[in-house]
Amino acid sequence: MSGRVIDVNGRKVWLLEHGTGAPLLYLHGFADVHSVKENWLPFHDKLAQHARVIAPAHPGCGQTDENKDIDVIEDVAFHYLEVLDALQLTQFDLVGSCVGGWIAAELAVRHPERIRKLVLIGASGLFVEGALIGDVFMMAQPEYGQSYASLRQMLFASADQANALEMFPDGKGDLEDEVRRYQMLRLSSRIGFKPPYFYNRPLRNRLHRITSPALVIWGEKDNFVPHSHGETYARSIPGTGELKVVPGAGHSVHVEKPEETAKLVLDFLAK
Amino acid sequence: MKPVQLFCWHFMAYPYLARDFDEKEYTGWVTVPNSLWDNNKARGLYQEYIDQLAYADELGFDGMVLNEHHQNIYGLMPSPNIIASALTQRSLHGKIVILGNLLPLHMNPMRVAEEYAMLDQMSNGRLIAGFAPGGGPETFNYDVPSANTREKFWEAADLIVRSWTEDGPFAHEGRYFPLRYVNLWPKPLQQPFPPVWIPGSRSPSTMAEVAKRGYCYFLSSRSHGGETHRAQQEFAAVLEKHGDKYHPFRFGILMSTYVGETDQQAREECEEGVWYFLKNCLKGHLRRQGRQLTYGPGVPYIPAAAWREYLKDYKPGRKLLGDVENWEELDASQSIIVGSPETVTRRIQNLIEKAKVGNLLIQFQLGNMPDHLARKSMKLFAEKVAPALRHDSLKQFTTEYPGVNVESSAEALH
Repeated sequence: MSGRVIDVNGRKVWLLEHGTGAPLLYLHGFADVHSVKENWLPFHDKLAQHARVIAPAHPGCGQTDENKDIDVIEDVAFHYLEVLDALQLTQFDLVGSCVGGWIAAELAVRHPERIRKLVLIGASGLFVEGALIGDVFMMAQPEYGQSYASLRQMLFASADQANALEMFPDGKGDLEDEVRRYQMLRLSSRIGFKPPYFYNRPLRNRLHRITSPALVIWGEKDNFVPHSHGETYARSIPGTGELKVVPGAGHSVHVEKPEETAKLVLDFLAK
Repeated sequence: MKPVQLFCWHFMAYPYLARDFDEKEYTGWVTVPNSLWDNNKARGLYQEYIDQLAYADELGFDGMVLNEHHQNIYGLMPSPNIIASALTQRSLHGKIVILGNLLPLHMNPMRVAEEYAMLDQMSNGRLIAGFAPGGGPETFNYDVPSANTREKFWEAADLIVRSWTEDGPFAHEGRYFPLRYVNLWPKPLQQPFPPVWIPGSRSPSTMAEVAKRGYCYFLSSRSHGGETHRAQQEFAAVLEKHGDKYHPFRFGILMSTYVGETDQQAREECEEGVWYFLKNCLKGHLRRQGRQLTYGPGVPYIPAAAWREYLKDYKPGRKLLGDVENWEELDASQSIIVGSPETVTRRIQNLIEKAKVGNLLIQFQLGNMPDHLARKSMKLFAEKVAPALRHDSLKQFTTEYPGVNVESSAEALH
């Protein structure tokens, strides 16, 4: 693992870097590096065989300073504009999963010219009538004093599959993993609790501004962000093909099916 | 010096749930289906509860306590100020304690400042103004983001007190509640402003914020083992650090009691209401069954560093108050003190002696306890328990806190 702290406008940002090649900015979601695990997941290792993968931890996550001025998603988008400046990234591939996908989309509608190719995986961020994004906050409160089964059920295809149990175990898991999960929920409560939940209503009508080719990937059994959100992203971003659905996966596609997901991403980036 | 202050706290539970509620329903909070509300039964319920509080005033309690909850069967007071308003017209002597208005749920804190000022005027200066940030359930009730709840709360609380004490109009250049014209009409009657009480659950940062401002700290825990005594010591140490001095009226606790003629009779009379309260009202709040919403990673209002500290001692699946399985276990939790006047007196005296607490906020009506039993217990308490508690606590406090001005709190600081 090679991680470092950079200074962004007086604030500390923690990031991991891996691989060589064209820069690829990865923005994390809930079941992910920085939000559960300290280190890369197999999915990221695969990407790093072909690109220089840079994964910053969101404000308040990992060792990145918390930023109390963050109230809405736009504040996070501006945070990342400053991160991009600090890293001197002018042209890069952008891959975001879950909340990270939402942030990626918000960056892309503001600065389409900086993004070479865009990949959204199970991205939140849209308001789609009749298809509310799940309440991850309530699911994060244990049942029967210690069961996180309903949280796993929301973030994975099934509550009792091994990778879900490993990342979100019942009872008390590894202390630092627990703290990372908490940090991600705390950041999410700033931007994703109100309006309920995890969307920015104007985003949908801004997606046409994206000029880069885009790939939208969804798990077949996503119980957190409904499929119709993936379809809406795919339909509304001009340079997008069909929504790529990964069979058997839930919301955390890149954790549940790392090889297939990495292949989809790498094929798209190489095209 | 003054004796222990005895308040009657009413939560106003919904008392008409079917016997199989616990078996059939997942929770008593936030998502408990409101199709269970039965208008045929509930007609007159608020009247019954208000009458009980007015009766507490007649019996000579030092005050009546109300608080705010939403979407649950535990407490039917989304707006305690409405009940307080009725009490201003139905009581003469006792303080009216609202503990409290949940400030982050209000779009504009001035509404709270105004309503509290009205209540203080309407009650001839009997208001005790409580402010609370709200817990997990309220987060879900009103979609209040957790991460900045505490900052929002203190900004609102400080703005309210400033609006009571500083002549307007002035501009409030706040982070969360910026206002151009703050100019309160009416002002509260009590000068410089009504006593302010703030609940907490032993978080050092809340204690420090309360100490800084000279307010009264109220421990919101429902169980009273060694923790209550520790909370008192912690708060006393924090006050000391802020150049202030602890006295029993800077501190309050919540407890429940039922007084009967004998220990046996007391238990028999209250048991149904007690179990209704523990198993139904606490389901979703202080029970493992279903999903506990009050505290946890889904309502992340404390900073991550504080969460790490909390986790170190945290035992997943540990029993909460509502998980007690039998009467003996309940008895040991010191949450609900049940017995003859002699038993209840002895046990509460013991608590006061150890915790050096001057404000006892006591819940009499529990769950679906019938009106006549709640009243009988209140009366026995007022006539056969309160006099001894007052006598002994006055002696204790006078010895332990010689020369302390018990009115010294925020009012005196200003």
